[in-house]
Order: sequence, then structure tokens, then C-alpha cells
Amino acid sequence: MEKVSYDAVVVGAGLAGLMAAHEIASAGYRVAVISKVFPTRSHSAAAEGGVAAYIPGNSDPNDSPEYMAYDTVKGGDYLVDQDAAELFAYKSGEIIDLLERWGVLFNRQPDGRIAVRYFGGQTYPRTRFVGDKTGMAMLHTVFEKTSGLGNVDFYFEWFAWELVRDESRVRGVVAFDMRNMTPVFFKAKAVVMAAGGMGMLYKHTTNSYIATGDGYAMALRAGVALKDPEFVQFHPTALYPSDNLISEAARGEGAVLRNAKGERFMARYAPKKLDLAPRDIVSRAIMIEIREGRGFPGGYVGLDLTHLGEEYIKERLALAYEAAKNFAGVDATKEMIPVRPAQHYYMGGIDVDITGKNSDLIGLFAAGEVACVSLHGANRLGSNSLLETVVFGRETGKAVVEFLKGYTEPSSDIDKEAEKAADSAYDVVKSESGPHFGEVLEKLRDVMWDYVGIFRDDGGLRTALSEITKLREEAKKVYVSDKSKVYNTEFYNALELKNMLDLALVIAYSALNRKESRGAHYRLDYPQRDDQNWLKHTIAYLRGNTVEITYKPVKITKWKPEAREY
Amino acid sequence: MSLKIEEAEVIFKIKRYSPEKGSYWQEYKLKVDRFTQVVEALRRIKVEQDPTLAFRAACHMAVCGSCGMKINGEPRLACKTNVFEMIKKYGSNVITIEPMDYFKPVKDLIVDMDDFYQRMYKVEPRLHPHKDVLEGKAEHRLKPEDQRELWKFAQCIWCGLCVSACPVVAIDPLFLGPAPHAKGYRFLADPRDTITEERLKILSDSAWRCTYCYMCYEVCPRDVEPVTAIKKTRAYTKFAKEKTPVMTTGEKHIEAIHDSLMEIGKLDEAKVYLKTYGLLNSVKDFIFLFQSGKVKYALVKEKPVENISEIRKILSGENK
Repeated sequence: MEKVSYDAVVVGAGLAGLMAAHEIASAGYRVAVISKVFPTRSHSAAAEGGVAAYIPGNSDPNDSPEYMAYDTVKGGDYLVDQDAAELFAYKSGEIIDLLERWGVLFNRQPDGRIAVRYFGGQTYPRTRFVGDKTGMAMLHTVFEKTSGLGNVDFYFEWFAWELVRDESRVRGVVAFDMRNMTPVFFKAKAVVMAAGGMGMLYKHTTNSYIATGDGYAMALRAGVALKDPEFVQFHPTALYPSDNLISEAARGEGAVLRNAKGERFMARYAPKKLDLAPRDIVSRAIMIEIREGRGFPGGYVGLDLTHLGEEYIKERLALAYEAAKNFAGVDATKEMIPVRPAQHYYMGGIDVDITGKNSDLIGLFAAGEVACVSLHGANRLGSNSLLETVVFGRETGKAVVEFLKGYTEPSSDIDKEAEKAADSAYDVVKSESGPHFGEVLEKLRDVMWDYVGIFRDDGGLRTALSEITKLREEAKKVYVSDKSKVYNTEFYNALELKNMLDLALVIAYSALNRKESRGAHYRLDYPQRDDQNWLKHTIAYLRGNTVEITYKPVKITKWKPEAREY
Repeated sequence: MSLKIEEAEVIFKIKRYSPEKGSYWQEYKLKVDRFTQVVEALRRIKVEQDPTLAFRAACHMAVCGSCGMKINGEPRLACKTNVFEMIKKYGSNVITIEPMDYFKPVKDLIVDMDDFYQRMYKVEPRLHPHKDVLEGKAEHRLKPEDQRELWKFAQCIWCGLCVSACPVVAIDPLFLGPAPHAKGYRFLADPRDTITEERLKILSDSAWRCTYCYMCYEVCPRDVEPVTAIKKTRAYTKFAKEKTPVMTTGEKHIEAIHDSLMEIGKLDEAKVYLKTYGLLNSVKDFIFLFQSGKVKYALVKEKPVENISEIRKILSGENK
């Protein structure tokens, strides 16, 4: 097998991966960035609303990084490591200023300073934005900046498949060139996993089609733990059937939810707050309506703006109006927008400290959605994920540079392990008959949605585990009918499926294990938060077909847990 | 309050390609409801019917630029195209899907985008502020109106649709293409950028090679208006240190049109030609026109419009 050597290999070319690559390359090291899509197609581009930052001299005079950290801790239902939240808040202003100097076209105040607006869960307004395309603007700028450095090689449309490790260290990554299916061993002293989220595990998700949890699964198979894998965030109003997000702003401006009978059903679930009740309550209400047969065929409800009048809608609700028109062909001034809840973000991830370093495998780092620094805890606040990618992407890059300075070359030969990793990919395509990836995939997405979704309980989660176990067996028989080596997307879809099944098992098992409700993890059979027994992080390892769970304490610096009320 | 339910069985006629099998058409039947995007239909075909179908897609919200293709002949993003709207527009339940033009097909709807990326890299797509600004030692605030102007052109999502549809890209290797010009202008016009001279060297000649056909304006899914960026880039020609023949001719042409409008309020083609290309070249072309029997069009004598003084006022900016 062909080999190439780098100081560091970054898997994923979204904001976190690119920030890390920039930091490492700027220190003079050679970096390879591997991504299954061209960098600007990464899911970071889809972030709309903004990026939170406390900027000294350009924030509310009463605000402070302390408040910002506190909001994050409270929003995360106290499962946040408070040192991470503090670092995050204190670095926020400086890094936004840096990105501004790199060329991110943040919206301005009349005097030329960066503009700011409110987002949910913020004591003071902190969200900075570039129209409604903040993630796209940041991603393009950071890509343009990073691609201008001489010592970063981009391997885009390359599919990273396995981490290669010896007894204690990560030694590189095996990846396939999607143009011709050639496997290459990327030997590396350090590996940064920045492969993004996993929304495609769920039947309904706002995530890109490419968010298939590859990074989590690679880590799990290399014996690396995921932290808090049971915490999955859902958003109540995604457009049917594309699942593109319809912002909460729509309900804020007066839109109401109605079932197929035309009833304003939120009156039954939250008589006072109605459509503006918290996300989890609204999501559950919509799900009950659909499950009890009061949704529209296909499984959705209506978001009604029609009573607000065309002028008001086009002025105040332009985004929702445009999304409905562009992606569902619906004129929201005349009829309801079809919506349903959808998976939106994954709080769990590869267990790392605040420098992005993993403790299971020397030389392994992670940043962005794929990592769990324990910044978001049990529930992420809006505007915090974009900031996380750049702050912790850069922190991780710095830690990699320090690691590389003290690096000593291991003597053991590792090439055989790399060969094995490439062979294991071909395993999924060896058979000449069997199910297609799609048959297993759609079942998995149904199971995750139905039993490991917005509502969870003991019975449902046990059903999920047995179904997932069956699907893992079925997936072994998956058959790739395309025999071509050129852009054989079916082959990569089959590998993605294997990744999704590894991760699904860990999520379902951890969700069954946590017997309380906290943040986005809602157990019908344990509806209360239980700090006595569960104020701790889940640490989950995949051992073959079983999941092994240990715990880590939550780092509490300043703020003692209290009831999460808004 | 209402929500109409409609479903249709649609035939997707897809132009497929592989190096082994060459090019061929394949049809898929799929039942979709009226809310379905073409990209979701393609995803369903792949998952439910034919796992071998290859196409690029990621965000399904018109921001990643992956799913550029030709749908019923129109260069479009598959995510920003509603199946029912295409059925209504063309009065047919058969929807044809082909890879983008110009780029080399690689597999089914996937084309080789390297040519596009190389074009984008050519325009030095990154900001070069003053060293002190970059290092945070000095501040250079961007005015809100400048932010708005630049953001319009910074919204390009690198989908390649404009390049695929551009007739000049197909025939003139020295034309950078619409998207690269939008990107180039975004940095050229940034008051904080310090490498204007270098940018003009890259952009100016190419800008005069556009024919203003407005295809890029038509097909851009983000309304970036690359042609507007090209027009604005041309206005910088006067700052360019070195001028190529294309630039010089272009400037003379603009000047000649201006003079003609000032004089008679419309275009006097013969005069514009003479002023743009000079006597010697005009005589040569005149002979060609004579030989091809078109000389009568060049010799039409235009009469000045009425109230020519009003036009002169507009052109000289007195009306502002």
C-alpha cells in the first residue's frame, strides 16, 4: 500500500479542522487535511445564525466572560466542565477579532465595529453574524487563509476509514482516494479528528447528508472512549421533507403550530407559553400529535403564518418564507409550512481535555462537533458551536505543536496494521449478494428516531439495542453492486453505514444506562434530573459488540448546580 | 389555514456515465409529494432503488454548492429545485437530469471540478491587510456600506454552475470565468486589502473578455451577480500599470460609446468602430464587411435624438 508521511494529519476540513491545521502549519510543521468533500462543502457552512463572543469594548457594558461561561454552564444543565466554559468565554472576543482581520465579513455597526444580537439562553446579547450565512462566511475565509499556507496539503474527496495505532500511540490514518478507490497510509506523529457530527443516524436531521459519524466510529474502533454519547439535540421545527431548519424566530414573530385538524395543539401541552415553550417541550408535543394520528400524511404538522399577512411575513419572517419557498415549494403567505422535529446537534463525542488531547491514545486529538470537551454538557446553546470550532480548533492546534516539539520516533513497524485496516474496508464489499446499504440504513435511522430520539424509556431503548444488534449482523452481509473503482459512492456509503452502526450501539447503550433526564436526554421513566447519582460524565468504550461504561467527574469551578429555569 | 396534499409519480431520466460503460440514459420512477426537492428525490433513488447512482450532495440547503447539475436543461442546484415546480413549468412528469456542461464527466452526475478550483485559486482568494492590522496592532474598521458591497460577492458557494454555463469560458482560455471574478472583486474592492496592483494584473485583462451575456446572472443560485463584479472590475482599469490590448481596446470602446451618446444620443456604429479600432484596422474590417455584403449596416447614418441636451445632462451627471 502506498504511504505518505506528515507531522500531523487532520481528518475533516470544516472550521475546527482548518483552524487546527492553520495553527500547526504556521508553526512550520507539515500537515495533511483529509476530507470526503471539498472543504467549503463541510457542514460548518450550514450554520446560520451566528457565533457568540464577548468582545471587550464591543459588548453590553454589564456583560463579562463570567456571565458568558455561566450561561453556557446553565444551558448545558450543569454537565459542562466549567474550566472549558471559562476558557471558551475568555478567548471568544480575541478569536472573533482575529477572524475579522482574516476577512470574515461580519455585519457592522454604523461606526464599523462588529454588530451583535441576542440568541436564546444569553443574559446579554453576544451573537456576531454575517447575514444568515455566518458559518459559510467563516468557513470560506478560514479555508482561503489556510490554503494559502505552503505546508498544508489538502486531500479532498478522500475517505478516511481507520486510525492506525500501536499499543499506546496513534500512528496515522488509512484513507481512500474516492476518485479511484486507492488506499493510502497517512503516517503521522499526531492525528486531529475533526470529522463533524452524525445527524444521518436519525431519520430526520437538519445535518448534511455527509454527517455520518465517521470520526466517532474511527475512534471507537481504535479503542478510544466517547464522552456523554447519550446527549443528542433535537430542534422542533425542521421543514418537511428536507429537514432544513425553520428558525425559532418564526414562532417568536407570531407563527403558530397546527395539526391536520387545524387545532392549535400547543394549548394542550403548554397552556401559558404555547408555541414559545422550550424546544424540548415543543418537539415532544409535535411528536405526540404525529404519533397519535393528528399529523399530516408523511408525518408532519403545519407552521401557520398566514394570519400575519403577506407584508409582515415578507418583512419580519423573510428567512422562513424563503426556506419554505425554495426548499418545499410552499408560499407561506397562503398556506402553512410543513414542519416536524429533527436531530440538530450531537453534544457527545471523542473524550478530550480543554487542549483537545485524548487520554486513551497518545498523539490523538479532536476538535469541533466530533469532540467532547464538555463545553455543551447536556444541551448546546445557539451560537456556541461555531465559536467552539474556532476556539478549540486553535487550542488543539497549539497542543499538537507542543506535542510535536517533544516527539520521539517509535521504533516498531506499523505498516502491517495499516494493511489490515484497508482490508477491513474491502470486507464490506466482498460478498456477491445480500442487502444494499440503503435497506439497512433506513431501518437504522427509523430505530434511532423512534427509540433513541426525543422520548426515551427503558423498553424503547432495549428494543433499540436489540434492533441495532440485528442490523449490525445484517450489515456484515451488505453487498456493493457497483464494481467500478471510479467514484464508487456506494462503497463509501457502505463504510459510512458501518460507522453509523458502531456509533448507534454506543448511543443507545449509554442512553439506557443514564437513569435521569438532563438537557436533551429525556427519559419518560426518569423525568427528573438526579444530581445525587448522575452529575457525572459517561465514558463509553466499544468492545466488539458490547459497550463498556465508566464515569468521569464534572469539573465544577464556580457554579454549583441549581434548577435550570428560564 | 390549509395545507394541500399532492403526490405524483415522476420519471427521472438521468444521464449516467462511467469510464467502463460510457454514457447512457436511465429512468427511475419515484412517487414524491409536492414538497420534494430534486436532491431528496436523488437520495431516495439511491437508497431505495439503485445504490450505484453517483452524485454529489451535502447540505440540502443551497449553501455548500455540491449539487450543481442540469435539470430539464437548466443549470441548477438540485436542492434548490422543487420537483413539482419543474413538472408544472415544463408540463411533464418526466424530468431529465444531466451533469453540468463544460466540466469533464467522471461518474454519473459527478464532474471533475479541478478546473474550477484552479480558476478560483488564480485570483488569490484571501485578504492581504496591512501587517499591523493582521497582527492586531492596528485597527482598520470596515464601514457598514462596504461590508454590504463586499458580502454580495463573497456569497459565492463555489458550485461551478456559472462557469459551466459561461460561453466565454468555453472558448477563451484567458478568461478566468464568472465565479473567479466575483471572488476576485470581493478582495479587489476591500479597502483593507494591500495588493491591489497584483490583483489588477490578475483580473483586469480577463474582465474585458466577458461578453455580458448574463448567463452567470441567470444561473447563480445565490444571486451573486458575477457579471456585476466584472463590470465593477473594469472600472479599475485606469489604475492598472500595464495594459494589454484587450484592456486598451475595451477602454477605447467605452469612451467611443460615451462620445457617441453625447453627440447624438444613440450609437453611431461606424464612428464607435473607428474610434475603438483605429483607421487601419477599421479599413481592414470594412473590406471584410464589404466582401460579406454587410457594409450597408455599418454605413447607416443615425439622426440625433430629440432633446439631446437632456441626455447630455444625464451622462454628465448634472441630473443627480
